[in-house]
Amino acid sequence: MEVSRIRALRGPNLWSRQTSIEAIVSCEPQERAMIPGNEFEKQLRRIFPAVGPLEGSRPGEPASMAHALEKITLSLQNQAGCQVTFSRTTATEEEGIYQVVVQYTEEAVGRLALSWAEKLCQAVQLQSTFDLNQALSELRDLDEDVRLGPSTGSIVDAAVLKGIPYRRLTEGSMVQFGWGSKQRRIQAAETDTTSAIAESIAQDKDLTKSLLLAAGVPVPIGRPAKDLEDAWQIAQNIGLPVVVKPQDGNQGKGVTVNIVDRDLFNQAYETAVRYGEVLVEKFLPGSDYRLLVVGNKLVAAARREPPLVVGDGNHTVKELVDKVNADPRRGDGHSTSLTKIKFDDIAIGRLKLQDLEPNSVPEKGRRVILRNNANLSTGGTATDVTDDVHAEVAARVVAAAQMVGVDICGVDVVCESVLKPLEEQNGGVVEVNAAPGLRMHISPSFGKGRNVGKAVIDHMFPNGDNGRIPIIAVTGTNGKTTTVRLTAHLLKANHLRVGMTNTDGVYVNGRQIDDGDCSGPRSARNVLMHPDVDAAVFETARGGLLREGLAFDRCQVAIVTNMGSGDHLGLNYITTLEDLSVLKRVIVLNVAPDGMAVLNAADPQVAMMANMCPGNVTFFALDPHQPVLATHRAQGKRVVYTENGNIVAQQGKKSFRIPLSDVPLTRQGQIGFQTENVLAAVAAAWAVNVPWENIAQGLSTFISDIQGVPGRFNVFDYKGATLIADYGHNPDAIQALVHAVDNMPAQKRVVVISGAGDRRDQDIRDQTQILGTAFDEVILYQDACQRGRSDGEVIQLLREGLAGAARTTHVQDIQGEFNAIDTALARLSAGDLCLILIDQVEAALAYIQGKVNETQLTPSK
Amino acid sequence: MRTGNMAMDVTDLVHPDVAELAALAARIVGLDIAGVDLVAQDISKPMKAQGAAIVEVNAGPGLLMHLKPASGSPRPVGQAIAAHLFDENSEPRIPVVGIIGQENTTGTSHLIAWLLHLQGLQTGLSSAKGLFLGQRCLQAQSGMEWESAQRLLINRSVQAAVFETTARHLLAEGLPYDRCQVGVITSMPKAAGLEDLYIQSDEQMPNVVRTQMDVVLSQGMAVLNAEDDEVANLAQYCDGEVTYFASSEDHPRIVQHRSENGRVVFWRKNHLVLAQGPQEIEALNRHLPAIDKLFKNQHLNCTEVLAACASAWALGIQTDLIRAGIKSFGQSPGAH
Repeated sequence: MEVSRIRALRGPNLWSRQTSIEAIVSCEPQERAMIPGNEFEKQLRRIFPAVGPLEGSRPGEPASMAHALEKITLSLQNQAGCQVTFSRTTATEEEGIYQVVVQYTEEAVGRLALSWAEKLCQAVQLQSTFDLNQALSELRDLDEDVRLGPSTGSIVDAAVLKGIPYRRLTEGSMVQFGWGSKQRRIQAAETDTTSAIAESIAQDKDLTKSLLLAAGVPVPIGRPAKDLEDAWQIAQNIGLPVVVKPQDGNQGKGVTVNIVDRDLFNQAYETAVRYGEVLVEKFLPGSDYRLLVVGNKLVAAARREPPLVVGDGNHTVKELVDKVNADPRRGDGHSTSLTKIKFDDIAIGRLKLQDLEPNSVPEKGRRVILRNNANLSTGGTATDVTDDVHAEVAARVVAAAQMVGVDICGVDVVCESVLKPLEEQNGGVVEVNAAPGLRMHISPSFGKGRNVGKAVIDHMFPNGDNGRIPIIAVTGTNGKTTTVRLTAHLLKANHLRVGMTNTDGVYVNGRQIDDGDCSGPRSARNVLMHPDVDAAVFETARGGLLREGLAFDRCQVAIVTNMGSGDHLGLNYITTLEDLSVLKRVIVLNVAPDGMAVLNAADPQVAMMANMCPGNVTFFALDPHQPVLATHRAQGKRVVYTENGNIVAQQGKKSFRIPLSDVPLTRQGQIGFQTENVLAAVAAAWAVNVPWENIAQGLSTFISDIQGVPGRFNVFDYKGATLIADYGHNPDAIQALVHAVDNMPAQKRVVVISGAGDRRDQDIRDQTQILGTAFDEVILYQDACQRGRSDGEVIQLLREGLAGAARTTHVQDIQGEFNAIDTALARLSAGDLCLILIDQVEAALAYIQGKVNETQLTPSK
Repeated sequence: MRTGNMAMDVTDLVHPDVAELAALAARIVGLDIAGVDLVAQDISKPMKAQGAAIVEVNAGPGLLMHLKPASGSPRPVGQAIAAHLFDENSEPRIPVVGIIGQENTTGTSHLIAWLLHLQGLQTGLSSAKGLFLGQRCLQAQSGMEWESAQRLLINRSVQAAVFETTARHLLAEGLPYDRCQVGVITSMPKAAGLEDLYIQSDEQMPNVVRTQMDVVLSQGMAVLNAEDDEVANLAQYCDGEVTYFASSEDHPRIVQHRSENGRVVFWRKNHLVLAQGPQEIEALNRHLPAIDKLFKNQHLNCTEVLAACASAWALGIQTDLIRAGIKSFGQSPGAH
């Protein structure tokens, strides 16, 4: 067995909506149809019993090693704690070649699982050993390492529940929610509106205290010390007991509480001074509480205790700690509700302060504190007390957050009880923490967990907003680029800043920000990240869809222009029109429930996709009596068609008409394929509620010239002859062009054509076969890039298509695109028509434009 | 800067395309103020054609190179930042009322704060009785000390503030604010007891107390006791307008000021009247049982009510709210 070409499908894809690893797997003859009945399966189950049932692609069919690889990859991830369920193996039309697809939650973990699964298969085959525990622990560690931490994870989960799309911006905890101009960002529990100045204030304990004092929030009095003597003087003034801590600190580093004598004070000072300037303040009696404020609300509260053990009169401190750490709920990292107590130098130091050593046996009932702070990460515990918080305490804590100016913060309060006002019990706020950890509230050691992630998301996206901008995805065999450009133009007429991707580049609000073929998910993702995009229109080509899946989880509108008889068939295991249709319908499958699929009623493959759409459907067709469209109209659903020189958009009794004469792109409706593109774009604009007057205005101002839509039916005048440049390169496109040309008067018709080597022989022949019925003269030229064909092979195929042509009287071969254009131009007289099927779009258009300009600069004598 | 202080101002040369992309870079990162470092052959040409690129986006950029470029004209970037924080339509000041006098200042300031509170504003009050925020007493002593009083102005939640002060506080520490909307002088304080601050005679006092007038904003209001000549004479130091109050409408200064279309407040028998030119409003009847009770229990007196009504008028508080507010003064639990 050999595994080749591994891909990560990072969005909805051909196989499912899940993020998945896809691999091409080739199996030797003895590795196909090998399960059941083979020693392989028995051996596999001995090593990895959790692998689950192994079945072929259909019930009752035998399974291959590729199927085993699939199930192992899935089960390894499950055993490592990843929640994945989808996997699939499909035989390709090539004997022994399979496509294996397995869902992942983390791409790196999915890839690693696949590689371990391959090793496991080899080990089983060679009857060698395999260390399953090693594999699982590597997977588990990697997953823990790359997946979102509990705080960020809880916020992302809440966003997903609310239908807000998200995207990780870093391997850390920076996450983007929403798209374009509606996007927001977080980094753990900080948001993009968390003020940098507020965070600086929260870092400065002394400033925080003076501001809180100003706001009438009780705080422990005290001040920063210049040196040890000054610090002791402050302690004397305030009165013991005191707390000594670094001025700028976090996670409780260097903090010593309840200092009652000079010796302890000196040690505490030495500890704190290592982290910077030292603050001495009044020790407040009571417990440590952490109150979480989001926006202007208190959303959770927890009482925190430092790691401690209680003496039993028998065991040593060390033994007691081991006993506590044996609790299975105590983990090593940040993921569990309890963490193991660390028994290190700091703990031993703390023991010394209590006159204990690791081997001392504390008397029964004595509480032995092992650290002077209550952080979960060093073994402390948190008990949820959210429901106990007195309204006055909540008011003070919210006032503290607002005074400092942080939108999300953890306020540390020390008091006897949160059940009564702080003022009644000498309690106070000791610290305001920006970017608070949420774990103690999500999964406290004791008490009820709180959905604080939801509070953060509700704060960032109030009023049910989900951060989405309308996405219009466009696919099909022909007309995609024009439809994309026209749809974007109609949205622009509605005063939206539009982001657009197509085969010519990426455009945001009219500015080109990238060039080349940008019809893949990477370009689309860039648009969705752009801060100035109010709506997006994406050409969604097959390449990117196969390579990575969609760039979005769902779209508002999906347009499928047509399938015709397909294009690029035979590439990447997309062999038949049905295969292609399954691929192209992915955008229809991922229309939002309140969204719209815009489908060509006259194309059977496209019309069939209506059944797959989770949202509504608008059908379009030139013919008002097209049966699919007519039925849809009779059902009171949306349709767009042409009738008596008008574009008609109709739903039930309501309809809107725009004269085709006001839509220059259609040349009075003469160019059928452009009219179809217009119908699709109108339906899409309607679906996102662009007002009719804006749609009409947009249609009247859209011009298909080489600036507007380069390479799509660009018309020039050359010495009285009409030149049409187009990038059409498959039989359907050429058929549409012939229809359009048939409506344009001309004495003689000339066509310039080459063939792309990567098409099937039949597709190349078909092109000239169609042209032979409509053109008098055909100039053939060889493509710049023959894409794997030998010299002259494509020309030969093109010539074969012209055999017995009804209209063609002259055929000529030319080397090079520009030479071919020159040859054709030389053969033209005024009143003739010449269709140039260009290949190098930009260069050829520039060349043609240059030729046209020459005639205008030097009038013919 | 890589080349030391060799910053040359090129602001006027920047091509609009460059400016647009630099601003976009700041938006993408999400900064409101950013220093965008870019490398270009020629800043006056579009970026793409010359292969120019943005290399860094800096938060908290240094401004010195723009304020003091080695060559070219300095740019008022501080002004641009201040304009970004406070646009033309925003009012960075909250209404501040300052009160000074020999007596009647505490009742006046508490009554003004109560009326502002009823107006719906989170109101801070610094008075002889302590420091207050809305209905809450933050501290019950030394409320007028600078250290205490300034707490009100750094509190983000405070929407209006009232500061009672004394000549001693004014001399020893200065006022806790720079300008105020309304400055009130109920009477001229005496010099007695201020010897340690080099005040020996009452004649020195107007020169001290005039500070309360000096700080009134040009669109603000002085509220002065017309019956105290020394107080009334301080009107000349006020940049804003003046409201006089007196126990009778017949006081010559009241008559004079009203004839000049100025605002006056006075008692006409049992009615408190707010008047300007020919227009007048009866704001209060002191025979109302609630008012009568306030006066009897000495929670308020006639002068305090005059000064507070004049101030509330200056602050744009409606007459019916003033009336209702005085009736309910001191009745809300926990209030003052």
